[in-house]
Amino acid sequence: MQLGTMAWRTLMRNKRRSVITAFSVGFGVLLSVTFTASGDYAYTNMINTSAVMGLGHLSVEHPDFRDTPTLDKRLVDAEAVQQRVLQISGVTGALVRIMGQAMFASGAKSVGGAFIAIDPAQETPAHNIFLRTLIEGQCFSAGEDRGVVVGAKMAEKLNLRLGKKLIFTMTDKNGELVSELGRVSGIFRTGDDSVDGGVVLLPLDLVRKALGYEPTAASLVAIFLEDHRAAKTIQGDLAQLWSRSKEITVLTWQESQADLAGLIAVDQLFNYLLQFLVGLVIAAGIMNTLLMSVMERQREFGIMMALGMMPGQVVRLVLLESCWLGILGLALGVVITTPWFLYMTRIGLDFSGQIGTDYSAGGVLIDPVMKFRLYRESAMWIAWAVFFLTIVAAIFPAFKAGRMTPVENLKQG
Amino acid sequence: MNNTPLVQLENVSRIYQQGKLQVAAVTDFSLEVQCGEFSVLCGPSGSGKTTILNLIGALDEPSQGRVLLEGRDLAQLGRSDLARLRRDRIGFVFQSYNLNPVLTACENAEFVLALQNIPHAQRRQRVMAVLAEVGMAELAERRPDELSGGQQQRVAIARAIVSRPAIVLADEPTANVDSATAAAILELMERLNHEQGVTFLFSTHDQRVMDRAHRLIHLRDGRLERDEVRG
Ligand SMILES: Nc1ncnc2c1ncn2[C@@H]1O[C@H](COP(=O)(O)OP(=O)(O)OP(=O)(O)O)[C@@H](O)[C@H]1O
Ligand SMILES: [Mg+2]
Repeated sequence: MQLGTMAWRTLMRNKRRSVITAFSVGFGVLLSVTFTASGDYAYTNMINTSAVMGLGHLSVEHPDFRDTPTLDKRLVDAEAVQQRVLQISGVTGALVRIMGQAMFASGAKSVGGAFIAIDPAQETPAHNIFLRTLIEGQCFSAGEDRGVVVGAKMAEKLNLRLGKKLIFTMTDKNGELVSELGRVSGIFRTGDDSVDGGVVLLPLDLVRKALGYEPTAASLVAIFLEDHRAAKTIQGDLAQLWSRSKEITVLTWQESQADLAGLIAVDQLFNYLLQFLVGLVIAAGIMNTLLMSVMERQREFGIMMALGMMPGQVVRLVLLESCWLGILGLALGVVITTPWFLYMTRIGLDFSGQIGTDYSAGGVLIDPVMKFRLYRESAMWIAWAVFFLTIVAAIFPAFKAGRMTPVENLKQG
Repeated sequence: MNNTPLVQLENVSRIYQQGKLQVAAVTDFSLEVQCGEFSVLCGPSGSGKTTILNLIGALDEPSQGRVLLEGRDLAQLGRSDLARLRRDRIGFVFQSYNLNPVLTACENAEFVLALQNIPHAQRRQRVMAVLAEVGMAELAERRPDELSGGQQQRVAIARAIVSRPAIVLADEPTANVDSATAAAILELMERLNHEQGVTFLFSTHDQRVMDRAHRLIHLRDGRLERDEVRG
């Protein structure tokens, strides 16, 4: 007769009570998966969206560029950096870009904004949200040295159409103002007004010449990863690679997009807190069930202890009962969560009616469709939390059972 | 162990604290039990029978005096030593609800052997032999709620003797069964005493049980009234 079997049979003695308690655990799993998986999905989405808006998951820059982004700070040999980065596994793309501020003017009107100078031969819609959201025209081609792509809002403000002239003025590497002329080859609309009214894509070679940059120089190399969670590790590897160079630094998306990282951290904290509270309520339920069961069985414990069972074995028996309850709860949780989870990973809930399609937070457009995605470590985390809570909930009842003397117990019943 | 009595109680008192009231359940009680005895503690309700059995069984501690089992003072032993002593040297049969309801008759009977970590196959073999001895081999796979009161007591007796303890303590083992069953249970214990030399000490206030005892220890108000040894 093993204690584990005995614990299971004891649990099944009051089937209804045990199953109800296990269901509360299962319901906790459902809630926990809902919170965690919607978070995992939304955060991944936000991080990846933010990455394709210019800086990637990691960006290699001049160390001072982040704090004072003037155009004299640059990577002199950005192409070499790019080639090196592309050899690292987990990297899906590395793009040489120049990013900065400029004045854009057409005819009588002018507006300030940001430019991203790109090499059209290398850029793809996968790594560039603006190429993905073109509504008119197309990206300038490699030979087209004066093409520009503007946002729909800016096109409206400056009265631009395809083929129209756009003059942009920026400060070169020596601090001198320089102006260049471009022609609109495409218009994009991301849905975020501030982006659509303030971002312009320019040809890399043209901007290099205008700023007086070396032929391989750029302000950054944007790195894209298969999985954004690898950012910290790859940052470490790269930092080591260039540890001797004072001109190169590597930033993760958390560092270059502190607003977004903060937003996610706060949201995650609330998420955890909520789950913790749900867990507490469920643990209280488990404790109540076990305590009732222990109190009902005082005479049984008394007899087992009279027969020579050690207090430690009594404690173990009750802990095992709780383990079974946790396992049963987890199993029920998987059963009730799976259909919901599958629905949410495949179809999801569309909130575009409530929040619209142009809702943004932390400078990033939010997908109005709520979907699930559960990282393996999140799933493991939930399973461990369930296990941990059931054990914690059992400690008091178990010691209550083990602490009593056999005579006290024999008196009962 | 030659001349050492199996059980020795030396001027034992047990006083219960009930709120501000002190209840003397046993007062200045001395007793010796030898190996192979078939003895009965008798007396009216409240005379201290259960209290004395609990003291001998290392389930309770005296307020005064000493309790020795095979010459060892129980007061010198810690909690787990006492548990080990009960497991290895003492068999218990209680009045009712003796068996664990989630275990079969067989599993109940082998409970003590399992606590002793005896391998499964050996355990089964010994338990089935003893269950046959008490006439319960056929019903070995039944749960307690599928057994009559008398059958449950037989299983409890099997559980008490299977580990070959020095003494079996039985608190009113026949109180909850009809007289025919009581007679059968008594006969079983007598036979085990006679054939296997198991020492029995039990309590009762049933005259028919007392008639079969070899020694009658009469109690009144927690004191020894009369110690009567029969042929
Ligand atoms: N835990 C306790 N607290 C207070 N008093 C107790 C306690 N246990 C027993 N007593 C008292 O001690 C006395 C002896 O009790 P005990 O149970 O030993 O008697 P008994 O001979 O076994 O009686 P019965 O035949 O009814 O089982 C009784 O007066 C009883 O009320
Ligand atoms: Mg009694």
